[in-house]
This record gives sequence, C-alpha cells and structure tokens, in this order.
Amino acid sequence: MSDIKGILIIGGGMSGLTSAIEAAEAGYKVSIVEKNPYLGGRVAQLNKYFPKLCSPNCGLEIQFKRIKNNENVTLYTLAEVVNVSGVEGSYDVTIKVNPRYVNEKCVGCDACAQACPSERPNEFNFGMDKTKAAYLPFDYAFPFRYVIDEKSCADNCKKACLDACKYNAIDFNMKQETINLKVGAIVMSTGWSLYDAAKMDNLSFGKAQNVITNMMMERLASPNGPTKGKILRPSDGKEVKNIAFVQCAGSRDENHLSHCSYICCLASLKQATYIRELYPDSKAQIFYIDIRTPGRYEQFYWKVRDDKGVTLTKGKVGKISEDPATKDVIVEVEDIAAGNKIKASFDMVVLAAGMVPSTKESTCGMNIPLTDEGFVNAPSLQKGVYAVGTLKSPVDVARSVQDATGATLKSIQSMVRR
Amino acid sequence: MAEQVISPDLNFVKDIIASGGDTLKKCFQCATCTVVCNATPNNRPFPRKEMIYAQWGLKDKLISSPDVWLCHNCNDCTKYCPRGARPGDVLSTMRQKFIQENAMPSIMGKVVTQPKMTLIALAIPLVLFLLVLGLTGHLRTPEGQIVYSKFFPIPYIEAVFMSAVGLAGIAYLASLYRFWNSMSKGNNQPYTKGIVPAFIETLIEFAKHSRFAKCGPNADRRIVHMLVFYGFVGLLITTIWVTVYYYAPKINTPIALSDPLKWVANISAASLLIGGVLLALNKMKDKGFVSKSSTFDWIFAIMILLLCITGILTELIRLAGIATLAYPIYFIHLLFVFYTIVFFPYSKLSHMGYRALAITYSKMTNRDIQI
Amino acid sequence: MEKKYGVYVCKGCGINDAVDVERLANVATKDMKMPSCKTHDFLCGPEGVQLIKDDIAKEGVNTIIIAACSPRVKYEEFDFPGTITERVNIREFVAWSQPPKTEDTQNLASDYLMMSITKAQKVDLPQPNILEGISSTILVIGGGITGMTAALDAANAGSKVVLIEKESQLGGFVNKLYKKIPTSEFKEPLIIDTDIDKMVKQVEGHSNIKVYKSAKLEKTDGQPGLYDVTISANGASETIKIGAIVMATGWKPYDASKIDHLGYGKFKNVVTNIEFEELAKKGNGKILRPSDGKEAKRVAFIQCAGQRDPNHLPYCSSMCCVTSLKQAGYVRQNPDAVAMIFYIDIRTPGRLELYYKEAQNNPGIMLTKADVKTVSEAGNGNLYVEAENTLLGEKIKAEADLVVLATGIVPTTKESQEYQDGLTQAASKGDEAKKAYLESTPKPEFILNLSYRQGPEIPSLEGAYGFADSNFICFQYETRRTGIYAAGAVHQPMNMMEAQQDAAGAAFKAIQCLDHISKGIAVHPRAWDETFPDPLLIRCTACKRCTEECPFGAIDEDEKGIPYYKVNRCRRCGTCMGACPERIVAFKDYSVDIIGSMVKAIDVPEEGFRIVAFTCENDAYPALDTAGINRKNIDPSVRFIPLRCLGGMNLVWVADALSRGIDGVLLLGCKFGENYQCHFVKGSELAEYRLGKVGETLNRLQLESERVQMLQVSISDSDKLPGLINEFVEKVKEIGPNPFKGF
Repeated sequence: MSDIKGILIIGGGMSGLTSAIEAAEAGYKVSIVEKNPYLGGRVAQLNKYFPKLCSPNCGLEIQFKRIKNNENVTLYTLAEVVNVSGVEGSYDVTIKVNPRYVNEKCVGCDACAQACPSERPNEFNFGMDKTKAAYLPFDYAFPFRYVIDEKSCADNCKKACLDACKYNAIDFNMKQETINLKVGAIVMSTGWSLYDAAKMDNLSFGKAQNVITNMMMERLASPNGPTKGKILRPSDGKEVKNIAFVQCAGSRDENHLSHCSYICCLASLKQATYIRELYPDSKAQIFYIDIRTPGRYEQFYWKVRDDKGVTLTKGKVGKISEDPATKDVIVEVEDIAAGNKIKASFDMVVLAAGMVPSTKESTCGMNIPLTDEGFVNAPSLQKGVYAVGTLKSPVDVARSVQDATGATLKSIQSMVRR
Repeated sequence: MAEQVISPDLNFVKDIIASGGDTLKKCFQCATCTVVCNATPNNRPFPRKEMIYAQWGLKDKLISSPDVWLCHNCNDCTKYCPRGARPGDVLSTMRQKFIQENAMPSIMGKVVTQPKMTLIALAIPLVLFLLVLGLTGHLRTPEGQIVYSKFFPIPYIEAVFMSAVGLAGIAYLASLYRFWNSMSKGNNQPYTKGIVPAFIETLIEFAKHSRFAKCGPNADRRIVHMLVFYGFVGLLITTIWVTVYYYAPKINTPIALSDPLKWVANISAASLLIGGVLLALNKMKDKGFVSKSSTFDWIFAIMILLLCITGILTELIRLAGIATLAYPIYFIHLLFVFYTIVFFPYSKLSHMGYRALAITYSKMTNRDIQI
Repeated sequence: MEKKYGVYVCKGCGINDAVDVERLANVATKDMKMPSCKTHDFLCGPEGVQLIKDDIAKEGVNTIIIAACSPRVKYEEFDFPGTITERVNIREFVAWSQPPKTEDTQNLASDYLMMSITKAQKVDLPQPNILEGISSTILVIGGGITGMTAALDAANAGSKVVLIEKESQLGGFVNKLYKKIPTSEFKEPLIIDTDIDKMVKQVEGHSNIKVYKSAKLEKTDGQPGLYDVTISANGASETIKIGAIVMATGWKPYDASKIDHLGYGKFKNVVTNIEFEELAKKGNGKILRPSDGKEAKRVAFIQCAGQRDPNHLPYCSSMCCVTSLKQAGYVRQNPDAVAMIFYIDIRTPGRLELYYKEAQNNPGIMLTKADVKTVSEAGNGNLYVEAENTLLGEKIKAEADLVVLATGIVPTTKESQEYQDGLTQAASKGDEAKKAYLESTPKPEFILNLSYRQGPEIPSLEGAYGFADSNFICFQYETRRTGIYAAGAVHQPMNMMEAQQDAAGAAFKAIQCLDHISKGIAVHPRAWDETFPDPLLIRCTACKRCTEECPFGAIDEDEKGIPYYKVNRCRRCGTCMGACPERIVAFKDYSVDIIGSMVKAIDVPEEGFRIVAFTCENDAYPALDTAGINRKNIDPSVRFIPLRCLGGMNLVWVADALSRGIDGVLLLGCKFGENYQCHFVKGSELAEYRLGKVGETLNRLQLESERVQMLQVSISDSDKLPGLINEFVEKVKEIGPNPFKGF
C-alpha cells in the first residue's frame, strides 16, 4: 500500500471534511489543507441548519470524532496550496503553512488569552466583537488549540502570553513553512466567501448601522456569538423585534453576482425563526423575488410562512436608508401582489448576501477553468483534480456532502487508473 | 376586478425588440426599477408592470397607459436593473411605438418615426418648396443685399406653413384626444381633481422642469431638456413675433440685431444648440451603466442639431454677405423647420402633448408624486 | 489478557488547584487497590506521555487510566495501541466547572476516578468479528441515469458491479427526452442531445459491469458483504452473492388526473411534461398536439401542477422549472410559436439561474407568476387557462393550443413504504386487523424484498413523503439499512446533474461499507469500532424487544423467536443492550454490567445528594465539555456517564442507582420526533419510552417519579445546559434525599 499516494483535500469545510474523512475511512491517506486555524469552514459559523434547525456542531463533532479515530488524516491548518505540478496519479504539491505561534503542547487552558493585553477584531464574528491576540477561534474549535495573531501582539503582549503559558506551548520563533507533498488526486473544496454587501450602494450596508448581512445574523443568533445568542442591533444594543430580510442582495444581479446563491431564501426563512423564537412578540418580513426552497425544503417554507409573525412580500428591495434620529432602517420596495410601492421601517435589516466562489481569491496554484461567474467549470477540469460543492455552483450543505462523497470515488478512480 | 383575456402578441414583442427595446425579455419582474424610480407614483407604479405587458405583447395595455409617459427616461431603473433589461430604454421604445401607432394619418407615423424613412420625410417639404418656388418663379438666387424674403416671400411661407401646421395640428389634437380617451377608459380611475387645475399644475411643472429634478444618476438631463425645451419655446415665440412684426408694425426681415426679437431668437437658437450638443454628448457619456438610445432618438437629436446649425448659418452667412451660399442654406434650414414644426405630431417632440395629458391624468386620478 | 494497571493523574490545567491530587491518587491505590498511581504536572506533554510509554514498555502496563482532560482532546498524545485506555475527565467536568478545593469537588473527582477504574477492570480489548466469504460486488438497482452513473463510477474504481433494470433497455426517463440542457455553460444552444445511447453502450460494454434487463429483484437475503440476491430476468431466476447495494430506482410521474382543475384526462390537449417530451421526440422537435395532430403554436406551461400543494405533493420536485424553460425552447423552434409559462416561483437555484436568464431572453417565451385556477375548453381543441394573482392582472384568461402540466416526481419507494406503514399500523391493532389489511390492500411492487424481520424495504422517514432519504444534513448516506444506499430521485427530488453526483456518492458509500466489513469494523458513524454485540443467548426469553427496536433491522429471529444477529448490518449503537430486560447484550467495552458497575462505583454518602446523568456521547457530552471550557458551574452532586447512544440505556441502571441511594437520575439525550437528531434513529426516544415504564420500579421502591427525568439536549446548548441540570438538582433536593441511602 505504501506506493499508493494520498489524496489532497484543499479546504476543510463541510465538503472538504467529507471528502477527506470518507476517503480516509476507506483506507486512503489524505491531507487536508485549511487556511483557517480551525476546521469546519462556513458551517462552523452557522447557528443552525435549515430545515431541521439543528446545530452544525453536531455533524462537525461526528466528523472530528472520525478524524480522531482515523490515522489516515493529516491536517494542515493556517495553510494554503501555492503550487501544483504533475498529472493524475502523481502531483507535486507545495503548501505554505503560516505560523500559529502555538505548538502542539497547547492544552487549551486559556491562560494566555487571560494574560494577553492586546485585542483584535474577531473575524469569526465578522468583526462584531474582539478577541484577545491570543485566542481560541471559538469554543467548539477543532483542533482545540489556541492561535496568536502575531500582528496584533506587540512585544509586551508577546511577553505576557509567554509568561502565562506553563506548558511551553507558545513559540514566537515559528516561521512560515513550506511543505512538499506527493499526491495522486486533488479535491478542491475551498468553498465560498460572502459577497461584499457594501458594493450595493442602494442597500446602505456600512452606511446604516442596523443593516447587517445574513452571515452576521448567524453569529448574532449563536449562543457563542458576539451577543451570546441574543439578537441585539448594532447601533444601540436594542432587542430586535421588527426585522426585514432582503433577498437577492447581490445575487441574481448581473451588476454583482449573476447566479442565484441557492441557500439565501432558506437561510432567511431560518433566521426568521431565530427571531420569532427568541422574541415571541417580534415580527419578520421577508422581501423576495422568488422563494426558492427546492425539494422537501418546501415544508420548511410552509412552516415559516404559516407563522403569523412572519410576512412574505414579493418584491425586491431597491432602496435602504437610515432614520438618523432612531437609527431605524427604512426599506423601500414594491409589494408586487398589491401593486404598491411601500416604505417600511424596521429595527434591523438583514441582507441575504450571496456566495462568491473562492476562486476569486485563489485557484490553489493551478490553472483552473472557470465560468464567467468564477465557478469551476467542472467538465473542463483535468483528470485527477476535482472541485466539489459550492466551488462549482452554489448549493446547500446536503448537496455539498453528496458531491464531496462522490468526489472521493472520483479520486479513487484517479488512483486506480495510474 | 374583471377577468382579462390575455392574448400574447409575438409580433409586437419582436417589434419592440427591433426598435430599441432589445433587452425587454431579460426582465424577471423583481421590481427594483419601480423602487429606484423617483418619478413613479406609489400606487401602481411603473415601469415593472409596463415591462411585463410588453414582454407578453399586450399592446392594448400599453396604449392606454399614462405611465409610459410619466417616465422621464432618467434611467435610475436601468442603472439598478439586475438583469440588464434597461427599462428606461424599453419605455422609451414604447413611447416611440406609441407615437407611431397613434399617428393620424397613420402613414405619417411610419414615415416620421422610422429611421429608414427619414429621407422621405425630408423629401415632402423639399418637393413642396420646390413646387411653390418653381411655380411662382422664385427658384433662383436673388440679386443685391441678402434678404431671404426675396427668395421665399413671407406670405408664401405663411401660406405653406400655416396650412401644413394647421393640418398637423388638427391631426395632433385628434391623436391626443384618442390617447386621452383610451387612457381614461382603459384605466377607469375615479377623479379627485378637475382637469383644469390639473392641467395648469402640469404646465407650471413643465415650466420648472421639476420632474426632471427627480432623476438620480442622470440628473444632467434636467438642464439639457430645459435648454432644448426653452430653445423651442423661444423660437416659437420668435416665429409668432416675426409674423406680428410683418403684419402689424410692418417691420420686415432681416430684423436688426438690436431688436429684442433678435435677442430672443439668438438666445433661443444658442440654447437649442447647446442643449442639442449636450443631448448628444449625454447619450454617449458613460453613466456607470449601459443605456442605448434608439435610432429614433438619435435622428431626433441630429435633426435638432441640423435645424440649429442651419439656422445659425443662415444668419451668419447673411451677415457675411455670401449670397450664393446663404440662399441654399436658408432653403435647407426651412426644410428642417418644416420637419420640426409640421412633423411635430409624429416626431419625438410629440411626447410633449402626450406627457402633458398623462401627467394631468395622473394628477386627476390622485397618482401624482411629490414634486 | 491479564491486566496490568497504570493510573495517571494530571495536575495541569488547574486540576492541581481544584483537587488534592495526592488524595486522589490514594483513592486509586488504596480504595481501588491499583498497583500504582502516578501524578504529573503536564501529563499530555512529551515527558508525561513518555512516562506512560515507559510503563507500558518496562512494566508491561496494558490497562491505563488517565485522569486528566476530556477524551475529546489530546487524543493523539494518549493513544496507546494495544492497550485499554480509559480517560477520566477531571478537567472539564471537575476542575473547570467546580469551585476549587472543596470537599464536593474532591468527591466528584474521586468518584469519576473510581468509576473509570471500575470500567477498566470490566473492559476487554475488542477482537473484530470478520465474517467469511465477503463479496465485494456492488448491486445497482435501476438502469436510469443515476443507476448507470453509479455503476460506471464504481466499476471505474475497480469494483465488480451488477446492474439490474426492470425495463428491456437501459436509460430510464432520459430515453423519453427529446433534448436536455447543457451541463455547464448555459449559452446557446440551450437544448442539446442527451447522448444517452453512448452512456448505455459504455455501461453494457464495461468489463466490470454485468447488466440484467427486464429484471426484478425477487429476494435479498443476508447482510452486507453476504447478500444472496435473487434476480429474475427473462423468465429465469438466479441467486448471486452481493456485497452492497445502490438503490437508484428513481421516480414515477405524479398521476396528473388527480389534479381535477387542470383538465388532464378530460381534455386531450392537456399533457404532462413527460408526455410533452415524448411529443417533441416523436415530432422531432415539432409539437403536434394529440387531439388533431395540428402544430401547437401557443403552448401554456403550468408549473407546480399538483406540487407544492397539500392536496397532492407537498414538496417541490426541483427540476420542473428548468424543464419547462427547456421545453419552451422546443416550442420556440418554430419562430412564430409562443410559450407561456405560469409559475408560482421560478426555481433555478445556483448557476441554473444563468439558464433561466438565457432561456427567458426569447421573444416568444412569456412568463408570469400565477395561481392557475382552471383549464377549460375553448373550442377547436384549444384551451383556456384561467389564473389569479398574476403579474398581468388579478384575473386573467389565456388561450392555448396545448397545455403542459409540470407534474412532479413520486419516489418509487413511496407505495411500498405506505403499504408497510399501513401493515405495521394494522398489526399493532392485532392479528385480525393485520389479516384484514393483508387481504384488502393490494400489495405494491417491492424494490429490495429484504428478508429482514423488520420488513422488506427501507423504512419510511417521517416527513420524507416516501423518499429513501437520510435524516441528516451532514450525512447524506446515513442509511437505516446498512449497506444499502439510495441515490437520485428516489433519494431526494433532484435534477439529472444532481442525480449523477449523488450516484457517485452512493456508489462510494457502498464500496466503503464493504471495506469496513472486510476489516470487521462498524459502518458509519462508528467507523473505528471493532466491538460488536455478543448476546448471551442461553438466557434469552425471546421477548423480541431487541429485534423490534434495533434501528437498523440488524437482528432477525429464528422460529422460536430467539434473536439472530446479522453483525454486518449492526452499527454498534447498543440499542439492543438497552432494550434487553435480561441484560444479556454486551460489547467488549460496553455492557449493562460495565455501566451498572460504574454506577455502583459512585460513593453515596449518607449526607448530601448524588445524581447520575446518562449522557449522549455526541451531543450532550461535548456540550458539557464546552460548558467546562467556558467555566460554567454545574452542581457537584452530578456524575455524568457517557453512553454511545441513549438507546442503550437499560432500566436496570435506574433501579440500581436508586436502590443504592442515589437521589436522582437524569438522561441527557438528543431531540427526538420529527427532525430527530439521534444518529441511531430513535435512541433518545426509546430512552424516554423506557423511562415511562420506570414508574413501576419507582412505585415499588416508593420513590417519586420526578427523581428521574430526561432532557433533550443539543450540542450547542452548552450555555443553557448547566442551568437545566442545576434546576433538576434543585428539584431533587426539594423532594429530599433518597430514603434508600445507607442501605
């Protein structure tokens, strides 16, 4: 078996984890390269999944348990693939691993973070709060190991962290490392990032304080989020009782993202349940072009639709502004069914921002055929390289998992062919 | 509401697409356009519904729609349209189609509105003038100081233009009347305001160009439109003034440059010229979004420019005293004058009356916007 | 194996500040009579780990008890192959969630240590149970696009495949299609050839694939790796050995004549979307309508016909919007023809939006949102479509030459599931009712024909409307019949492209399942587990609870009703262990006795309260860990015992605990009912059900029923959970101490 090369999985989100673990459990060596200091990708940031309203941490826990019990998985966090050469069955891969400044001796005791005097914006929570420069990305983070944001940690900070650690786990001498791997197949599962909502000048994100994105809403609703799961609006910390969801904020819009991002209708329906459950006297209104709840998701749509506190209005929001006195958000839209243009005021507005394929940031040192929107044009990919999930087209977690499982089989075919 | 029988007219759709509304079918009815439009009323706003009517080829719906005329082509809609459906251009095309369809006699609608017929349109005054001048023996360059009335005596001009304008005016009134009827029947909305106050309000708005102030990304249009509008108004006044001078104080052309009439005339001509140039430049300017002007629009802009340029040349060459050039230029200028005035009901200029009626109607039916 | 014990207590991470480690070590050596107990400042560090390794190498220590952090962390450091290693979580559960250096804290730590030592004493190293004669052949049921893709993908990965198709040719529904949409670039041409023939050729010519056409699966006997599958084809029956199964039996169109108001069956020129494909194919693109063969120039498409409708299919079939846009393209091959599409929402998710955009940009394709109310006759075979709430007006009427109903998909599993569910229901009412049901209900065609005690098909999933779907978002192939994986439209509503991806996924899971079976380890989610249930059948009373409650149908019965374990079907959840009143089901490291002994190892003082909490390993346990990470305080009287699944909860433990003077018993399981969270299907629900019966025990002991409670806990409840537990403790304290204390 030693001559069988492993499979490289780029991206440790739900798709990448699936591809990696499935292959590992079938007896193949896999290497996961993840750019974040933790695994789980986008789903780790979600409060709940639609339609079951269960925590993504549940599935991640099983995935991590599978990794813990399987010796075929090698994990590189804070890492990026910078170059790939070779052909199916024999690729040379160069990986750049950024220093974590915390080694494997870390026990996760939090002493460094408690002692650390410096703070940094918490990108896991989309900058809505701060962490110490020495921090654990979030409380279910895997690997369960702290990270130090060296740029935010001046000399006195470094000293404080070093002094606090009794286990010699902090090492500021760590350098960026380059690792070379030989693999037989490559699965790209680098997923997506959220479209920059500030680019839609008519929707006032970044101008009106109480206009947030759907991903920010996930963090606000999460028990381990910046507001500990209480949905409070940014301007004044007021409980949000009257909320609007603006669908297709950037998606299905050739000025921004010409594709549909698949998950936003369901995400907003789901987020409406967050607020309705948290504050029984709350109201939520969803403005949409088409409600897209394919398959059995239709039932979830009905469930939310039938809640008296939720209103669904066909019509795309064209303008958003802020009431300077109250910081309430004013939304302008045509209620198409009624045939009237309306202006309505809300405590907070959530923009259902869309998916940007991560190829816009990097194609992992490879020459990857792309569609006009930047997704991987899968039929034109060379044999041996596979793109999964949202890298090919926006999809939900379920379809990502299906595709990622299938990609494992394709990778194995690449091994067999050689 | 009563049930409507819908009968999609594929030819009408194709016609709109061919006439400048080529993006029509891209619209997916999200209603961004109606929201970003500052000129649309809150109640049954445009242009979303006009877009779907046009997509289905529902000509009747569009013919009776005041909203097509409430559109001032600001193009906020086009800028924000997520599908590149360019509602501004599509509505503009609808107006063009309407002018054509509603023309009386209908043949004139085709001749004037269709770009390929422009030369024929210009041939009408050409033939007419040649006939008049030829029959009366004026078809030659007069001797001595350049006085245009020696070439084309004012009574002849009066006679030709008066009768042509009279006929065109009647036709235009008939078209407007037909439009008003189909609009008020097709919409069947209760009135909350009388026609007279509504019409006066409309005229005041026109004078101020206040609706154009609502335009978002294309706010320059207000100034451009105002220059063109007042240029025409000024020239109209001048024309009447000249007639008055001719018959009352018996002041003959050429009129002295010091005369107030000349001031008004020259200022108006300048206004029209600047407006016309800006109009053309504006069409070519990058406004951060794609908006295409139809050939119909382009022809109109070119005609204004030609009218203006030939008019100014007429005056300048006369002052320079080059008779061999002056009379032919004057002749050509008169062709454009004819085109502009007599073809008014069939050219882009006719939108003035339709728009006035549409705004008046919207005021009467309480669908006005805050100006 | 003769056990040589080594106990190690870590002093790091605040443990030393919270408890007296020396006293704790004494508990191990004195009370528990362990040969040694070593302490270390930093046990997971290189030196600490070396200390243990040295003991293994030099002292022959093979049974290791590590009192340190949660077993969820430092799993690499504390991995000692070939040993029994027990982790005692005195960091998260004690040091991080209790006030330091109190007597309660000390007792808590020492109880955990005693419980773990007790467990280590009872546990044996597992020996994998590898059955002989494992076949690695994959059976694919269904020769449509999904089945063929699965077969090709598995075959290209080196597996032998048997493909069976009920029709006389491969291709399934794709055979009926005139054209399909492009696969990646949604630009002209928007309709392209399906090329299904090429794929059929590839399948039929593949050396690893054996195809049976006009074939039916008569019987599926046995278990994964060892299925005896009887196939009847062309009048002959054949039994072959099969390892795992991909079920790609697809869908049937919904019966359009049930949708009264749309005129199907009443008017000849109302057809379904599938019939429309056939018309287009027959006319080679020309749409000649059924009534008079005239070319249809005005075609109305009615979306969601009998879909998204509580009276018909309450789901969306995911593919009809694109199909109708494509079919409108067929109509528009005649430049004078018009296609009108009446939709509720246009559903072209993801990049399919670009297909919508391109397809829509056609002069003759007219779209409007509409609630179609009726289809009626307009004379000459033409039809009126009447609709409300449209974008064109409140009520409209359009005339069409032909009406196409975008009818939905019904999974092929639906009928058999409904039949089985009906049968189960009837059987629960008694033999008479069952007999009546069997006589009165026509038996549908079964797909798998499993000879499982729990029934011949994959059991139905609540809210899945007959689809053979997984209950789990993260685990799309978490099947309730090990070794059998559904793919394509029988799995979920999906389009052709999605079905092909799904096919590869399911094929892979089939291959992976066989890999696990050949190694004697469990199939997902416990894919490392070499233990297996080993019941002491001599004591079996044939009560059949295990055979009925096993979530995976892993246990059959012999004629006397004695259970017969088909271990390759088993997923090692231990539900049978919880179900068994005779307590005879045991795994090497997990048994009624082991857990019971842990309960008994808890020191119950005469003063003070003790609570035992049986805790789901996957959700509640990590939530408790996280509460510890966030330094949340939990009442020190509670002792958590992790279970693989709450389905393994045996009532005897409750009785044991209460009769020993423990004041309360808490069950921390996951959410059950619709959208259940249990990865072993009904674990927590069964635990709750069993708790319903504990009343008897409590009555006998004259104890209050409030002393036993179950909580449904999600992994993300770490913030709320300590409060809920403390509330329960308070309630028990209000009831007062268990009178059995000190007996």
